[in-house]
Amino acid sequence: MGLVRKQAPQEPEEALPEGPSAEILLSRLDDPDPDRRRESALGLVGAPEAVPAMLARVGVEEDPRVLESMLTTLAAYDTEDVAGGLAVHLASDEAGLRTAVAAALATMPRSFPAVLPSLLAAPDHDVRVMTAMILADLQHPEAHTWLVRMICQDPHPNVVTGAIDALLPSATTDDVQLLLDARERFPDDPFLRFTVNAALPRLTGTP
Amino acid sequence: MASTAATGLSDGDFIRFAEYFYKRTGIHFAAGKRYFVDKRIDTCIRNSPYDTFAAWFAALRTSDQGPMLQELINQLTVNETYFLREDYQFDAMLSTVLPNVLAARGGVGRIVGPVKILSLPCSTGEEPYSIALRLLEEWDQIDHVDVEIHGADIDSEVLAKAAHASYGERSVQRVPKAWMNKYFAAVGAGRYQVDEGIRSAVTLHKVNICDTAAMRSFRDFDIVFCRNVLIYFDELSSRRAAENLYGAMRPGGYLFLGHSESMSRISPIFTPTRLPEGLVYQRPTGAK
Ligand SMILES: C[S@@+](CC[C@H](N)C(=O)[O-])C[C@H]1O[C@@H](n2cnc3c(N)ncnc32)[C@H](O)[C@@H]1O
Repeated sequence: MGLVRKQAPQEPEEALPEGPSAEILLSRLDDPDPDRRRESALGLVGAPEAVPAMLARVGVEEDPRVLESMLTTLAAYDTEDVAGGLAVHLASDEAGLRTAVAAALATMPRSFPAVLPSLLAAPDHDVRVMTAMILADLQHPEAHTWLVRMICQDPHPNVVTGAIDALLPSATTDDVQLLLDARERFPDDPFLRFTVNAALPRLTGTP
Repeated sequence: MASTAATGLSDGDFIRFAEYFYKRTGIHFAAGKRYFVDKRIDTCIRNSPYDTFAAWFAALRTSDQGPMLQELINQLTVNETYFLREDYQFDAMLSTVLPNVLAARGGVGRIVGPVKILSLPCSTGEEPYSIALRLLEEWDQIDHVDVEIHGADIDSEVLAKAAHASYGERSVQRVPKAWMNKYFAAVGAGRYQVDEGIRSAVTLHKVNICDTAAMRSFRDFDIVFCRNVLIYFDELSSRRAAENLYGAMRPGGYLFLGHSESMSRISPIFTPTRLPEGLVYQRPTGAK
């Protein structure tokens, strides 16, 4: 009893047995055990041949933890194919899937700009709200500019409010007029008004 | 002296280098970190047979995973740590987490196998040894339960120091005098070495937390401390680290992060639990 050393002598880390091949891991994405599916999805990092199969499973995987692992592996590609394959799920009826996909897209600064135009033009305004959320987290030098454009141009108050929310952490005095204009464009939207009014004192430096 | 002039790193070189290093370690250097990076690359080049960045970088990539990469990692990691750092989390471990772990595993007397604790990254070892000290001195069950403590880090040099376990004044300044007398020996030059009993109880490993294949050898940990490393990662590396830690833990196991780090922004796979001493994350029990 007390502090004990690990019993088995430590094998040198280099001598780890090779993990299963990509082919085996791919077949395990259908395993009934979610833990196995999760481990396979993670193990498939660096196996580009697995990308289409994983993309195809994003919409059907029911276990949220397995989905997270697939998205972690997929997002590492940061290619337009992957971004496009993920972006379609922003229109999903399932909130969990939508948010998980949005979080993954927010880690893909290289390829996300390629899917942005079609997302900004999406007829479903909820998709555009999600897009604003992604831009809030995306590490991209143009993210601020894109949000400004959404605030000026989007016809839906929820989208504009979402974009304002996303912009606020990086907003400066320069953005005050933008917010005032948005408030004027949607005078009847209480939530937008509230968001702008709450932000103004910090930006203008008046209490 | 001007480090940039010495390495002659162009902006393009820096970006290519940062990308390479990110792929190998998950550590992300933005352009703002150049002062830090250039100086250390400089040292690596000077210690190598190459005299330009281009030649050195080409050799690094060809030899990939070899000693050149390890030296670079050793240079570019931030290893700052000390005994009993953020020790409110050790309070939480003693007062709430360990009792919960024991209860979940059948209780004292019925628990099968040791309670396993992981410090990743452990840097020069202060963290795993602090855990050992607090358990030996303050946990009333330590004589009734087996506890295994593991420390792991990507940096081979800090691991060597952790194995040697001798520390300067600054590192041990928060350790109570009585514990110093009991568990440390003065080894000269103001340095103190942790006693053999504790040193030999802690198992050390070299691992990259973002490397899913390598992390597969870590299993069934009840408690994990992953403090002050995610701050150096970008979001994607943090997610992968989170996934790998999840795989290393028992369902219901507890994860402590550094005080400025948060899992909820990175990955929803853990359940945050508020304890009187602060936030801890749990691998859910339900979903296996
Ligand atoms: C600031 S120390 C933290 C030590 C200790 N956990 C603490 O909080 O005091 C950060 C450590 O993370 C290690 N590290 C950086 N990247 C790593 C990686 N990808 N995998 C494992 N360790 C890593 C570094 O080598 C360094 O020793």
